[in-house]
Amino acid sequence: MSSSAPRARSLAWALVGPTLALLIAFNVFPLLYNIASSFTNAELIGGEWRSVGGANYARVFEDELFAGALRRTALFVVCAVTLELLLGFALALSLHRGLPGKQVVLTILLVPMMLSPAVMGLYWNLVLNGNYGVVNQGLTALGFDPPQWLTDRDLKFWSILLIDVWMWTPFMMLIALAGLNAIPPSIYEAAQIDRARPWKVFTRITLPMCTPVLGLAVLFRATDALKQFDLVMAVTGPNDAATQTLSTLLYQVVFRDGSVGLGAAFSCVILVLVIALATVFTRYIDRLQSKDVTA
Amino acid sequence: MKWLRWLVVALYLLIATAPLAWMGLSSLKRRADTISPHAKVLPAAEAPSDPTSPRFEATLDAYRELNVVHAGAQQSFWRHLGSSVLIGLVSTLASVALGTCCAYGFSRFRVPGAKDWLFFVLSTRFLPPLAVVVPVLIMYRTLDLQGTHVGLIVLYTVFNLSLSVWLMKGFLDEIPRAFEEAALVDGYTRAQAFVRVVLPEARTGMAVTAVFCLISSWNEYGFAMTLNSSGAVTVPAYFAGLQGNIEGMPWPQIAAGALVFVAPIVLFTVLVRENLLRGMTFGTIKQ
Repeated sequence: MSSSAPRARSLAWALVGPTLALLIAFNVFPLLYNIASSFTNAELIGGEWRSVGGANYARVFEDELFAGALRRTALFVVCAVTLELLLGFALALSLHRGLPGKQVVLTILLVPMMLSPAVMGLYWNLVLNGNYGVVNQGLTALGFDPPQWLTDRDLKFWSILLIDVWMWTPFMMLIALAGLNAIPPSIYEAAQIDRARPWKVFTRITLPMCTPVLGLAVLFRATDALKQFDLVMAVTGPNDAATQTLSTLLYQVVFRDGSVGLGAAFSCVILVLVIALATVFTRYIDRLQSKDVTA
Repeated sequence: MKWLRWLVVALYLLIATAPLAWMGLSSLKRRADTISPHAKVLPAAEAPSDPTSPRFEATLDAYRELNVVHAGAQQSFWRHLGSSVLIGLVSTLASVALGTCCAYGFSRFRVPGAKDWLFFVLSTRFLPPLAVVVPVLIMYRTLDLQGTHVGLIVLYTVFNLSLSVWLMKGFLDEIPRAFEEAALVDGYTRAQAFVRVVLPEARTGMAVTAVFCLISSWNEYGFAMTLNSSGAVTVPAYFAGLQGNIEGMPWPQIAAGALVFVAPIVLFTVLVRENLLRGMTFGTIKQ
């Protein structure tokens, strides 16, 4: 603006500098530390670092635990995001033409996503308990033979997924509603004049026009689900072969086994994955903002 | 088709609220009723004579016992709630203050590489806490910050900066530059124009940003349990620590405490309902 260029520039750096410095200190320093310690035998408690070359990385790529956690996390991300997207979109379609008390209903529906996953995850242990949980008592009363949600090896992963779906479907619904609201009514009116069938209207108008924001929703949820930690810790703890995700395995390696060097190598591998996803994400946001479809 | 839409919404309304409603019921029970093999769904004034009855004697004992120190914990629920409040409030204030300044810089000045910096800020949010926590832990041990309120306050302040910068940038971009330009012409300095003209206009945005920062530090668990497992333990880490203790889970007290813990969040959700989408998507979608 009007003030002289060098003064404006130093003022600008004074404004943005502290924040950027803090973020660099708390993100870049750990990154460098992880890279350095990933080539050593560093332990959580004491001890000198000794170089072990690429041995930690070799373990990460060979160990069945890491491959398993990676597979499970990928499965979790894909299933959680898909289910939440489908359910959320169905809910949004049901809500957006207006129902009585829409604002109140909407606000109530959104509550689960604001709650603490660690606390709610712990509480779901009581609700889903095989012996005294209310869900199984209900199923028994209805004549079903209820499953052991939290202890059955083949089931507990899906129980955690269900809790995640309970928490995050509202988020997808919220974004889908914004997408639906942004479609100008005139387009639907034109389709009505052309006597387009409802299914055609949905696949040719509603769906394509919602796709950009739904893509953003999927990316948000995917990066979040990739970090899945709280719910797994609350339901099964970090060291359960059926539910271990990348984050909980990392917790197990570093805080229970104390192998900081191995954990650091593991973190670096995860980081490459996260950076790849983050790059896709930021490019996507950049494209949306330059096209101004989100404003 | 209208009945189908009604059905879908009604069904999901039930699914969304039932766990919280059950939490409310559990908080009125005694421990034996929470782990009874027979569903206890109806609160009653007196204990039923038949143990298979769906009735249970309602009591507020669980709320009174929130000051009890349970096995597996070092302090009572109220003390941990105090830690959560202190850490949440101070880190929120710091995040909003820093984030507002930073966002103002990006919004009104030409910062070299502004777009790259902004995306760097956003991308810090993608890192799993567990992937950065060890170096932070080592740093905190050296600085003697492990297990302190200050340690988590600093960490949550930094953790929430991405949220605060992106949200505030969106809000500040919406304030017309003409306001400040007029103030500058009137002889205000830059700083005066920022404090007296821009900040009052950005009040709503700052309040919304504060709510989202507060909620995210309130609910955070990964850093809390790894850095502060012994001192200044926040509520999520406290509850998690009760798991697997020898006396069995104190379910009524957990339910009562969890309700007290989530109540402010529900209230805040209602308060910022108009800006929920914006807050949850870091301002990338504006309603």
